[in-house]
Amino acid sequence: MEKGEALAGTVLGYGWPAGNLARQALELYTHSAGIETGYGFFAPNVPDNYKLVFELHYRDGRVAHALPTVSDAATGVRIVNLLDRLAEIEHPPLRELMVRMLAYSVWREQADVIEIRAIFGFVSLPTLEAFTLGERESYQTMFAYDFSFLPAEPEQP
Amino acid sequence: MQSLLQRAVNFLFPGVADRWLTVLRCGLGFQLTLYCVSSWSDWQLLYSSSGNGLISRDLAEAILSVESALVPRLGWVVTAGEQLGLSEPVILQLTWLFLLCAGLCLLFGAFSRTAAIVAWFLYLCAVKSGVLTSYGMDNFTIIGLFYLMVAPLPDRFSFDVIVRKLPVRDERLHGFHCRVLQIHLCLIYFFGGLTKALGPAWWNGESMWRALTRSPFNVISPDFLASWGSALPLLGIGVCFLETGYPFFIWSRRTRAIWLAGILVMHVAIGLTMGLYLFGLIMIILNLAAFGPDLRTRVVATAEPLIVQVGSKNLIRSTPDR
Repeated sequence: MEKGEALAGTVLGYGWPAGNLARQALELYTHSAGIETGYGFFAPNVPDNYKLVFELHYRDGRVAHALPTVSDAATGVRIVNLLDRLAEIEHPPLRELMVRMLAYSVWREQADVIEIRAIFGFVSLPTLEAFTLGERESYQTMFAYDFSFLPAEPEQP
Repeated sequence: MQSLLQRAVNFLFPGVADRWLTVLRCGLGFQLTLYCVSSWSDWQLLYSSSGNGLISRDLAEAILSVESALVPRLGWVVTAGEQLGLSEPVILQLTWLFLLCAGLCLLFGAFSRTAAIVAWFLYLCAVKSGVLTSYGMDNFTIIGLFYLMVAPLPDRFSFDVIVRKLPVRDERLHGFHCRVLQIHLCLIYFFGGLTKALGPAWWNGESMWRALTRSPFNVISPDFLASWGSALPLLGIGVCFLETGYPFFIWSRRTRAIWLAGILVMHVAIGLTMGLYLFGLIMIILNLAAFGPDLRTRVVATAEPLIVQVGSKNLIRSTPDR
């Protein structure tokens, strides 16, 4: 399988420098034709399920929870894919930047929130046997960030 | 050697009517229209740049640029629109509107080639600028639109032929384009099925359970699903068998109808039980375009002698649909 992957990579010019014109042309063709990725959806296993929860801290001390929200179910599927990709990112600053953007989209709608804690984790689904014995899904935190989007107050003289 | 070459030519350039193209064009037009309608309320949220969207379009396009600077993206459209003095929200709304118009034009076959190119370009731009949120349905829609864009348009049921009197192209050219789509689908299903079959989870029903209980695909209650738990391994094995066996059974005259029906039922089930209706629809469209029209011809051809036989016994004149 790995040999096949290496061979396909060579054919698609993945070994060439990123700026190579032939590689760029190949990338353009594969993206344009929709063939830049494989077809192993949900294979060999169905991946873990991730969840991002925002803990909203209000000015009056209240605390509420929110999820990234969209209007349509079709876009909801896109959020799931976004969270899957977020979990795969190995570069912490990029991951934090993406979570910050998502947190900001929530803060825009809730102007009296002074701080948002973003908690990212994965949902552990029980197996069928465990479910029939009464076990239910559980949530395990992977990382968390605190964000404040309020403008910095000017220093007192 | 000559015979082998002739067989290869016959395989790659069979004489095929343009019905496959009618299915592909109308199907993709319907798919795009449905996509536009369903994404309208979140369009700005998905594709706005810094500060106004869910995940900034600028970030997605920067990640895309690492792979290739030549792949089309919405940033290009926005930059071009800004030269005309339009703001980003207006440009994004216009992009959505053009995509919807292209979908409707494809549905009715009006200005098919232009509509196909516009639809492919704008859809590609949207998907690549939302690369962090794209999924399988987007890839398959791009595949379909790419084939449609280079296909020998128009087809005889389109506005372009009926009203504008444009000529229909050669049957062998249609045959070649249809054949490429058929081979591509065989590769997709074979490797999709093979990779599923490599792990144990599709054999013991675990993947079926996880796929159907994973949020937001958990349309069916887990309690109901658990009561049918013993059927899950069979369903999982059935999916692997249908997909891996696709290139082996879809070509044969005897098994094509069964296999195509099995695949279509699988995609209808994915749409209904997981809420992935756009994904289910695009796969149904591609399958029907590739193998559906030919199946109809074969069923009629197979049924014709029987109809004539029965008709002559009962003194009924047979008029098969050609």
